Amino acid sequence: MTIEETFRVLAEEKKRAYIPYLPCGFPTLAHTEKLILALQDAGAHVIELGMPFSDPLADGKIIQDATAQALRNGMNQDRLFSLLEKIKDRIKIPLVVMTYYNPVFAFGVENFLSRMKQAGVEGLLVVDLPIEESREYVRTAERYGRTPIFLATPTTTASRLEKIFALAKGYLYYISVTGITGPQSLPERDLSRRVGQLRKKAGLPVCVGFGIHTPAQVRSIARFADGVIMGSELVRFIALHWQKKDFFSRFSRYVRTFVKEVAGPYV
Amino acid sequence: MFAEQGEAMTIPDKKGYFGQFGGRFIPETLSCCVDELNEAYREIKKNKEFRGELKNLLHTFAGRPTPLYFAGKLSRLFGIKVYLKREDLLHTGAHKINNALSQALLAKYMGKKRIIAETGAGQHGVAVATVAALFGFKCDIFMGEEDIRRQKVNVSRMRILGARVVPVSSGTRTLKDACSEAMRDWVTRVKDTYYLVGSTFGPHPYPLLVRDFQSVIGKEARKQILRETGRLPEYLIACVGGGSNAIGLFHPFFKDKKVEFIGVEAGGLGIRRENSASLVAGHVGVLHGTKTYVLQDKFGQVKNAHSVAPGLDYPGVGPEHAHYAKSGRARYVAVLDREALEGFSLLSRQEGIIPALESAHAIAYLKKIKPRRKNAVAVVCLSGRGDKDLDILQEYEHDD
Repeated sequence: MTIEETFRVLAEEKKRAYIPYLPCGFPTLAHTEKLILALQDAGAHVIELGMPFSDPLADGKIIQDATAQALRNGMNQDRLFSLLEKIKDRIKIPLVVMTYYNPVFAFGVENFLSRMKQAGVEGLLVVDLPIEESREYVRTAERYGRTPIFLATPTTTASRLEKIFALAKGYLYYISVTGITGPQSLPERDLSRRVGQLRKKAGLPVCVGFGIHTPAQVRSIARFADGVIMGSELVRFIALHWQKKDFFSRFSRYVRTFVKEVAGPYV
Repeated sequence: MFAEQGEAMTIPDKKGYFGQFGGRFIPETLSCCVDELNEAYREIKKNKEFRGELKNLLHTFAGRPTPLYFAGKLSRLFGIKVYLKREDLLHTGAHKINNALSQALLAKYMGKKRIIAETGAGQHGVAVATVAALFGFKCDIFMGEEDIRRQKVNVSRMRILGARVVPVSSGTRTLKDACSEAMRDWVTRVKDTYYLVGSTFGPHPYPLLVRDFQSVIGKEARKQILRETGRLPEYLIACVGGGSNAIGLFHPFFKDKKVEFIGVEAGGLGIRRENSASLVAGHVGVLHGTKTYVLQDKFGQVKNAHSVAPGLDYPGVGPEHAHYAKSGRARYVAVLDREALEGFSLLSRQEGIIPALESAHAIAYLKKIKPRRKNAVAVVCLSGRGDKDLDILQEYEHDD
C-alpha cells in the first residue's frame, strides 16, 4: 500500500496511524530486518527508517547514541538498501527513510532515490533540508515516483507553511515542540489547536512526532492528529532489552500497547 | 566597519551562496530564527547608532586598531618582508573578540536575553563570556570534553567571567560536537536565545555576518601596509580552521587581484593521516547548516578532525573559503603539527611573540614561500596569543 492509500483506509475505518521510527543498524546490523518485520506484524501503519548520520543535529541523546552505535556496526546506504531489497516482498506497509542531507548528498541525490525505488521505499524525509534547498530534490523524487515528506514546527510561520504545503506529499510531519527528539511532556491543548488548523489547510494527513513516549500521550494525540510518530521511546526499549532471550516477543507486545491506542473509532 | 555599498558585495547571493557553497541546511525549527537574524542584520547595517556604539567598543573595550608590526628577524630569515597583523594584542587575546562584540551588540538590539556559543580552543568561548558579562546576558558555552581537558586555562577564564561551560561528551568530544550541541540547544530555546557562531560557518547569514564583522582586520591592514610600504603586499597569509581570521584579512583585498591569498590549514599528522585540512583533503558536503568542503568518508559520515591547535580542529570550513578555493582566488595549503610547533618556537625566540598554535600554522608557512620578486611583502594574520597553549606544549614535550 502507498502512504496515501494507507491513510485513506485508516480514515474509512476511523483509525489513526501509528508510525514507529527505527534507527537502522541498531542494536546490530542483523536486527534491522527482524525489527522491521516485527513492527509490521505488531500493527505499525508506516515505518520511518533512520539512516544514521554522524552529526544528528535534531536528535536527543537516545537517538544520538543509537545512531552512533549503528555507524560503529558498519551501517551505510548500500547495506540499508540491500537489506530492504531482500525483504521487499514481505513488506506490505509503506516505508519512509528519515535521514540528514549529507548521507543523501554524498551518495548522490539521484542514486539515493533510485535505490529507494528499487528497494520499494516510498518516502524520504531529510531533516535538515528546508524548503529553500529542496527544489531539485523534490523534482528528482517525483521523477522516481518517491514521496518527499516535510516537517512543520511550532515556529513555522504562515507564509512558510504555504510553501511547505505546496511541496509536501504523503503526510505532514508536525514536530510537537521546539526542540530535539526525546521523551518529554507535551503542551497538548496548544498542540491540538495547531494540528486542527494544519489539517484544514495542509491537504495532507498531519502526523505528530517528538517527545511522545507513553500510551496516554498516544491516545490523547490520536484524538486530534492523523498519526502518531514514536522514535526515542522504542529505541530506549530496544537498547534496554535486546540482549534478552525473549526480546522479539517482548518488543511486539510493547509495540501493540501503543498500536491499540490509535484504533479509534475517531470521527 | 561594514563593506561599502557595491564593494565586492556580489557574494553571497540572496540564499547565502558563495558560488556553489553556503546556503542554509537546517532543521525547520531554526528557519524562523535564521530569518529573524537575517532581517535584523540587514536593518542594523544601516543603523548609525549601532555602528557608532560598535566602533567605540572595538576601540575602547577591545583595543582596536591593532598594530601592523614589521618582523625584522623573520624577514631576514626568509628573504621576504614579513608584517604581522597583531590580533593577538586584542582584549581576550585573539581576533575572536571582533566578532563576539559585534554579534553580542546585535543580539542586544534584537532583545535577546541569553547567548550560547560553541568553542574549540576556548578563545571564542572566552570572547563570548567576556561580552556576555559586558552586556549582562546569560551565557552558556558548549565545549567538547577533550577540549576542556586541553584548554583548562580558558575554561577557568570563562567561569570567572560568569559563563556556564557545558561539557559535550558526544562524538569526538571536540569543536564539531560542541557546534552540534549548541545547535540542539538553540533548537530548544529559539525564542530568547542568540546563537553566537564563532567562525564563518553555519547557515546563512552567519558566514556573511562573521565575515563582515571580521573584515575590520583586513581593512586596517590594507591602510596600514599602504601607509608603511606605499604599495599592496604580494601575499596575505592566515591560518584556516573555520576561517574567520583569514576571511577577515582577505575580504577587503578581494578586488586587489595581484594580492595572493594563502590560507594555511592544519595538516595534523599528515594529509593521508588525521588532519583538519578540509579544503586540502576534504570533499564537498553539508555540515552544520552549510555546503562546503568536509572531511568525510564516501558515505557522507563526517570524520574526526585532528590538529595540535584546538581552534583548527574542525572537519569543515567556511563556505566563502570553499568558493575562493574552487575559483582560484585563494590558495590553501596544509602545515603539519610538527611544523606548526616549529613556527611557534621560531616566533617566540626570534621576535619575542608567543603565538597561538593556530596562528603558528601561518608563521610556519613562511619558509615555504618562494617570493616572485625581491622585497616581496607578506602580511600574516597573527590571530591570537599562545598563553592558552602551555598545557598542550607540555604534552608534546612529554611525547617527544
